[in-house]
Amino acid sequence: MELGTFGAVMAFASQAVTQSAEFYETARERAKGPELKDVLKSLQDGANRDRATMEQTRRENVTEMILEPIAGLRREEYEVRLSEVAPEADAEILKTALLLEERDQRWFRDSSAKLPLPEVARLFRKVARRKEGTILKLRALTG
Amino acid sequence: MQTVRNFINGEWVEAEAKEFGDVWCPATGEKIAQAPFSTAAEMDRAVQAAKNAYWEWRCTPPLSRARYFFRLKNLFEEAFEDIAKVLVTEEGKTLDEARGEVRRMIENVEHATGVTTLMTGYNLEDIAQGIDCTAERQPIGVFGAIVPFNFPAMVPWWFLPYAVVCGNTFIVKPSEQVPLTQTRIFEVVDECGFPEGVVNMVHGAKEVVNAMLLHPDVQGVSFVGQSSTARHVYKTCGETGKRVQSLGGAKNFLVVMPDANLEAGMPSIITSFYGCAGERCLSGSVLVAVGDVYGELKERFVAAARALKVGNGLEEGVQMGPVISKKSKERILGTIEKGIQEGAKLILDGRSIQVPGLPNGFFIGPTVLDEVRPEMTIAREEVFGPVVSIIRVKDLDEAIRLAQSSEYGNAACLYTSSGKTVREFKYRVPASMLGVNIGIAAPMAFFPFGGAKASFFGDIKGHGREIVQFFTDTKVVIQRWL
Repeated sequence: MELGTFGAVMAFASQAVTQSAEFYETARERAKGPELKDVLKSLQDGANRDRATMEQTRRENVTEMILEPIAGLRREEYEVRLSEVAPEADAEILKTALLLEERDQRWFRDSSAKLPLPEVARLFRKVARRKEGTILKLRALTG
Repeated sequence: MQTVRNFINGEWVEAEAKEFGDVWCPATGEKIAQAPFSTAAEMDRAVQAAKNAYWEWRCTPPLSRARYFFRLKNLFEEAFEDIAKVLVTEEGKTLDEARGEVRRMIENVEHATGVTTLMTGYNLEDIAQGIDCTAERQPIGVFGAIVPFNFPAMVPWWFLPYAVVCGNTFIVKPSEQVPLTQTRIFEVVDECGFPEGVVNMVHGAKEVVNAMLLHPDVQGVSFVGQSSTARHVYKTCGETGKRVQSLGGAKNFLVVMPDANLEAGMPSIITSFYGCAGERCLSGSVLVAVGDVYGELKERFVAAARALKVGNGLEEGVQMGPVISKKSKERILGTIEKGIQEGAKLILDGRSIQVPGLPNGFFIGPTVLDEVRPEMTIAREEVFGPVVSIIRVKDLDEAIRLAQSSEYGNAACLYTSSGKTVREFKYRVPASMLGVNIGIAAPMAFFPFGGAKASFFGDIKGHGREIVQFFTDTKVVIQRWL
């Protein structure tokens, strides 16, 4: 499905970070290692902050004058289907967290290039950049 | 079935109406509420409440008045999505469009909070020996707004915040086709806690409109709607000695030059014609192809129009919703038919569009008529729907003469990469709101909104800095101390 409007792009952005936040919350309860618990807490806080930012951005940057169709973004390319049951093992949790962070980074980087609103594109680039550090940290942890 | 209530003197009150108007969901074709046709007596009660509230409100310091609007802005942000969804449900536009509209409503609230700067007067010492002069802006009394269906959230707020922050009191008469949005907004206004009578809302139709226009205690009226009604409002307010700003209809030309960047410009050209299903006074209506841009422009435009996703505006990703009513749909279909009869060639037919799961919605798909000539009805009269007329002209001069010949003068847009062409266009085209490489030339809250010719009757337009002049009297005081 093509994400052809500003609202559709923002809705997907919000859904993506919400999915990540929900996973981190559940996984944190299951994780055994204290260091992983801390990492997941930090990821959860970051995703919740991103979700609030997405909602605020959708409200404040919708410009009626230039609600122009957006081309080249398809939902399927960024969807991550998680198992209904969260993984138990720390290694599996880490792997999924990395998958989500990489998806989020790819989504925010790609969509920033397609958005006609510079202010929103800038924000998306910023979120994508912030994910770089997180991804490196997760990769180090997964060994 | 919900029946909306009036908001008078800080209270929600059932209307005493005997007649009601149906409120429809344009996407489903279902009746969702009813609007009471309140009586002249109820409008009088609102006016009396506003009149009684006036003096105390007028004496409230401007910064204190502004603080109500700071609070209101925050409350509107909290209710943002809810207001947008109510708007989509009863008006039909897409969620993005509704959000954009609510944003513009809030921007007017934000702009009005600058009253301590906007409302200041000026002075000069020694206008004569030992004599000083000041010009002070003072509020006037009770004002009202009569507003259309197509922007039920935003349009009342082109006026209300400025009137009220300047110290006046106010009455809104929403469109009887879309009363739910402003009702939801007034729930927020109620929560904000303005003093009783400062802000009021009366639902209804012709009777309450005339009651407002003729009421001796109403000092001024802001109107937005069809040109024929706008002219009537202007005339009646003139006869009864009221201030008036009366915004009418439009027939907007979008001119594309051979040197335009079609690839970059096409998304905004498409949005100009089909955004809000063409139901806005800034929508492009006539696509004017200059010289040899015609072939490529037509091909790209039709392809982009055909690709638009039409559906229920509540569905994220839908790019065009239905038109407001069955009656409106029938009128637009009749206009298309007339265009064909007069010799236009239908090259994209949206008349029989089917939207899955919504068989009763008031949908018309993107429609394009080619080979339209300036004398045809479809090239001259407002359509207010997703219908585009393509006219081919040989040069810029012919395009400008086309725009000059229109009865209306609301907006016009030009797509070009030449500064010289832009200068010529803005110098000669009589429309008051011009877009250059932008398809919807919508002034934001801090610039004036309004057209020329049959698109506007009055002197001071909606919002912008100038609107403070409409809602205040300039009192000149000449002083000498003996």
